[in-house]
Amino acid sequence: MLVALLVFVALAAGYGVLYYMNHKTPVPEGCENLKAECEGCKVTSCEMHPVHDTSKGENEND
Amino acid sequence: MAEMFSMFLAAVLINNIVLSKFLGMCPFLGVSKKLSSAIGMGAAVIFVIFGASIFTYGIYYLVLEPNGLDYMKLIVFILVIAAFVQFTEMVIKKYSPSLYKALGIYLPLITTNCAVLFVALDNITSKFTFTEMLVNSIAVPAGFMLVLVIFSTIRERLDTADVPNSFKGNPIALIVAAVMALAFSAFAGLV
Repeated sequence: MLVALLVFVALAAGYGVLYYMNHKTPVPEGCENLKAECEGCKVTSCEMHPVHDTSKGENEND
Repeated sequence: MAEMFSMFLAAVLINNIVLSKFLGMCPFLGVSKKLSSAIGMGAAVIFVIFGASIFTYGIYYLVLEPNGLDYMKLIVFILVIAAFVQFTEMVIKKYSPSLYKALGIYLPLITTNCAVLFVALDNITSKFTFTEMLVNSIAVPAGFMLVLVIFSTIRERLDTADVPNSFKGNPIALIVAAVMALAFSAFAGLV
C-alpha cells in the first residue's frame, strides 16, 4: 500500500513539475494566439470548443 | 522479421485503430478538414504514442509488476501520458518554434486521445516483447495517420461537392468514415 502511494505521488509530482515547467516556457514569437480550426461539436467540455473562446466576447463588448 | 512485418501490416490495415476499434474519433473528425492539419496531427500522434508506450512499458515491467501494483496501471499510464505530452510540448516550444507552430495546438489534444492509452494498455495485456511493443507502437499510430490523411483529402473534395443540406458537415463525414471502414474490412485475411 505504501509503495503504491509512493509511486502515485512520484508520478503526480512529476506531472506537476512538467506542467509547471511547460507553462513557464515562453511561447515562441508568432504562436501566442494559435487557435484550433474547430467549429465545435457536442462535447462542450473540450478546451478547444468555441464556447471557451473568451476573446470573441471581449471583442463584441468593445 | 516476417512476423514483425505481418504484425505491422495487420495493425495498420486490418485492425486499424480508427476504422475497426473506433478509437481516436475526436481528432479523426475534428482535425480532418485540411490535409496539412491531418499530417501535423498524425505526426504528433506517432511521436506521442511511440514515446509514451516505451515509458509505460518500462514503468510497468520495472516498477508496477515487481511490486504487485498491477491494479494501478490505468492511473499510472494516464499520468505518464499526460506528463509525456507536457514534456513534448515544452521541448518543441523551446527548440523548434516552427514545429510548435504546426503542431502546438494539437499537442494538448493528444492527452485526451484514447488511442494513446489503448496502445499503452494493449502492449501489456497482449504480453508483447520489447521488439513487438516497438513495432506495435509505430504501426498503430501509422494506421491512424494513414486513415486521417485519406479522410482529410476526401473531406477537402466534399467541400466543393454538391451535398444535400441535411448531410453537410459531420453527417456526410460519418457516412464517408463508414464507407472507409467497409473498404478497409476488405484487407481482412491479407495477413
